[in-house]
Amino acid sequence: MVKVGKYARSVSIVGVGCTPFTNFEDHPETKGMSEGEAFGYAALEAIADAGLEPRDIQYFYHGSANPFMIGDSLTPNMQVADWFGTRGIGSVHHSEACCTGYVAMQEAAMAIASGEFDIVLSGAVDLAASLPVVGAPGHMRRDFPLEEMLPSIPMVYDRAYGRPLDSAFGISFDNWINEYRWTYDLSDADIDKALNAVAKSLRRASVLNPLGFYEQDFDQVAQANGMPDADTFLTSMFNPKVTQYLRVTGFETKCDGAAAMVLMPTEMAIARGLDHKVIEILGTGSAAYEGATLANEKTGTIRGTKQVYELTGVSPDEVDLLFINDFFMAGDICVPEEVGYVPRGEAWKYAIDGRFAFDGDKPINTHGGRCNFGHAHGASGIADIVEAVRQMRGEAGATQMKKLPQTTLFRGFGGGQNIRVQIIRTVD
Amino acid sequence: MPLLNQMEPIVKKFYDGVAEGKYWGRRCTECGAIEFPPHIACNACGYHETEWVELSGHGTLQSFVVPGIQNDKPYLKAVSAYGYGAVKLDEGPVYTFVVFCGKKKVAKKLAERLHNGEVIGVHAKPIDREVPLKPGSDEMVHFAELCFELDEVNA
Repeated sequence: MVKVGKYARSVSIVGVGCTPFTNFEDHPETKGMSEGEAFGYAALEAIADAGLEPRDIQYFYHGSANPFMIGDSLTPNMQVADWFGTRGIGSVHHSEACCTGYVAMQEAAMAIASGEFDIVLSGAVDLAASLPVVGAPGHMRRDFPLEEMLPSIPMVYDRAYGRPLDSAFGISFDNWINEYRWTYDLSDADIDKALNAVAKSLRRASVLNPLGFYEQDFDQVAQANGMPDADTFLTSMFNPKVTQYLRVTGFETKCDGAAAMVLMPTEMAIARGLDHKVIEILGTGSAAYEGATLANEKTGTIRGTKQVYELTGVSPDEVDLLFINDFFMAGDICVPEEVGYVPRGEAWKYAIDGRFAFDGDKPINTHGGRCNFGHAHGASGIADIVEAVRQMRGEAGATQMKKLPQTTLFRGFGGGQNIRVQIIRTVD
Repeated sequence: MPLLNQMEPIVKKFYDGVAEGKYWGRRCTECGAIEFPPHIACNACGYHETEWVELSGHGTLQSFVVPGIQNDKPYLKAVSAYGYGAVKLDEGPVYTFVVFCGKKKVAKKLAERLHNGEVIGVHAKPIDREVPLKPGSDEMVHFAELCFELDEVNA
């Protein structure tokens, strides 16, 4: 097992920014928004939040899950710097599909911990709800029908075996929740009830979050469809199972969005006397398993979690808030147990009892997660970090947790499949 | 946080303006430098805020190269003899554009004239462009590409 070393110096998050996660083309105010502008708005918010100006940024990271297809660009870091006033500084692009936003924090933290830079911005953008008109200016976009998206998804899997043998795409969504069901001798109905309960909790958070995708909770959706309540809708033909266990509401809501954070040495952050709390990055556990590998999500989560707990000395009972990249929702049941957030065999009951909601006692994904807050692929991991930082500062508004969280754990995941398990903590 | 009504699509305003013969830049509210083409923040001083300013669309040529077979584009050649150059707008900002010259022999002499210190005026000359909505589509999307032209072409 890899043993992760401590940073050469402590690194903290001092600024965060995030655009609404929505379809920019559907709103007259933002119709024609390009990738560079969206990245720029998120970056400038993060810079202002840090009490800095663009001129203070020394280096930046740019993340995007699929810049070639949905951004009509290669090395997109070169194409966004001017938008937020950093022309000429060094930067790099990285792309780890849905894990991009977590790698964004890890890499930027290392750049500072090494001593190479003091102030680094790490951002990501994906306009995932539409496609660019190739060869036209950035504001010109077109529809992104499912038939054009689906062929790109298997590209995250191995060309030699995982993809041509069809197993990676076929098994990834359900294999962990299937094992969970049989381990605890549950029924299909138990799992369905638990997943639908999580969906209700997360949708409620998204509706209350001004950046979230949805404006209606599932009770309102049910009423709009002539049904008495959310449970009736969630188990109806309007929300069919599309894998053995997962319904339509158990899969991501693809959308546009950008998010960014500014990091600096903790010592510098404290010395600057910011008007908000400083959030230290304690460390990252890493793993990567090709999608056809048996139990890749579970094995990667175990490996990354062990690394980060050993590195930081944090114990699971110290974690106040958990984020799970849930672009398919099975992880919302399986991960909380694997990282020790809730007791073994209990997560499905926690879900049904609403305890994972932002106002429950074991909150997860307090902004709504990928299926409800929205999923702007490469940017979503940073959106998690933005939401966590706002919760930890007490700035989360209508979805503020009852108890101010001090320690947050992220289980990042994506790209067939990269895993990052990360812990951040408020500096006293 | 930047809610929808605080996120203006700047690229769109720029291209819509070019199509109407209006040239929009953004002026830094701290140092006064102009971003053209426009961006949200200022790249001259690294300040976060700029504001809209309408520009003349006139400037002077700063540098110029003629295309070879590697960097020639038929749809540009169809307009007139051209090259690639840096244009400094009368209001100050510098960016690179296609510059139409009218005649090939004029284009060939431009770099030498600049080297000799001649001030060569240019003005905006948008051209219509079209590209398929998506690969293989008959449906075309149109936009106005901002190019420049030597003042002497119209003299």
